[in-house]
Amino acid sequence: MDSKLIKEQEIKRNINNAFRSAEVTVVRRRRISVRFRAGILPAFISYLKEYMGFVHLVMISCVDWLEDNQFELVYHLWSYEEHIHAMIKIRLDRDNAQIKSLSSLWPHAETYEREIHEMFGVDFEGHPGLTDLILEDWSDLPPMRRDFDTRAFVAETFEWRKGREDAQDVRQTISARYGETIPEFKKDK
Amino acid sequence: MNDDLDRQNNNIIANWARKHSLWVLAYGTGCGAIEVPPTMTSRYDAERFGITGMATPRQADVLLITGYLAIKTLKRVIRTYEQMQAPKYVIGFGSCTINGGMYWDSYNTIKRLDDYIPVDIFINGCMPRPEGVIDGFIKLQERIARGQAKGWQHYQENLDWYRANQKKVIKNWTMPDYNW
Ligand code: SF4
Repeated sequence: MDSKLIKEQEIKRNINNAFRSAEVTVVRRRRISVRFRAGILPAFISYLKEYMGFVHLVMISCVDWLEDNQFELVYHLWSYEEHIHAMIKIRLDRDNAQIKSLSSLWPHAETYEREIHEMFGVDFEGHPGLTDLILEDWSDLPPMRRDFDTRAFVAETFEWRKGREDAQDVRQTISARYGETIPEFKKDK
Repeated sequence: MNDDLDRQNNNIIANWARKHSLWVLAYGTGCGAIEVPPTMTSRYDAERFGITGMATPRQADVLLITGYLAIKTLKRVIRTYEQMQAPKYVIGFGSCTINGGMYWDSYNTIKRLDDYIPVDIFINGCMPRPEGVIDGFIKLQERIARGQAKGWQHYQENLDWYRANQKKVIKNWTMPDYNW
């Protein structure tokens, strides 16, 4: 097993030589994960891009760690030379979520950042236009935050149709109306 | 004015003509739009019932709402619906238009289509098969022939109620207020 991870270990050593504070973990073959500080993220990412061959930004995702009062941004990078997927994980303070935009490194980072901005409320400094991407005229909490109460919002905004609220098995309605018996299926153990 | 609308609606000859030429606006929302191409093309061939596609709302008779409708899309749908010329019919397609379907607790899809635009026929199923769609169209044709597909008239008469519902979910109302 270890012999297969030579490339990954070498990348880990190289990253640690350049940025001592980066916590690199080799997750498995072809996958490494890096925890890093938010402050000098663009420098770190451009180092990975220019010197380590991680030229492809696959996507940026955001995780809401409500219990820690933090957002975690995950930057997925891919190296075509080494065939390694790197996940750069950044923790941000939930109350003051701000980070530098990567749109100068990859133009398409803009779209991901706009989406994260609108769904979580993370602010990207230096982004050319942080406007609505998918939502329109949204004035509530950003909807993908875990403290946004979807059910309460729906109950307040929309009318339910009667019969929706009990969430019954539709077979029960049918059997009550037409007198059919519900077949007993064997339960999976 | 209402007498005039009623007269238009109950004109037997006109209804007979209307029911045999339903031009469906080629507009799809939600997953259900995927069932429309098989309905229209050779296998199920909806054209034998006089149902065919039309690219612009001004010349279409039927607006198919093929599934869940985001609030953002609702705005466009209302705009489209109001541009269509009467008599016009709306078909709600799939359980999402009836009661929210599997998006019942989603923050950005509407739950009851008939609160926002008048629906003449609902086709249930998630999603309805082309047979179901054609069946729904035939039911709509029957209603047209009987002069019962009066959704558009209902919309004109209860515009205030519909507007109030629409403005409740569409926060930034930038559309022109039409008057009939
Ligand atoms: S009813 Fe089902 S198939 Fe239709 S839009 Fe809703 S989820 Fe999709």
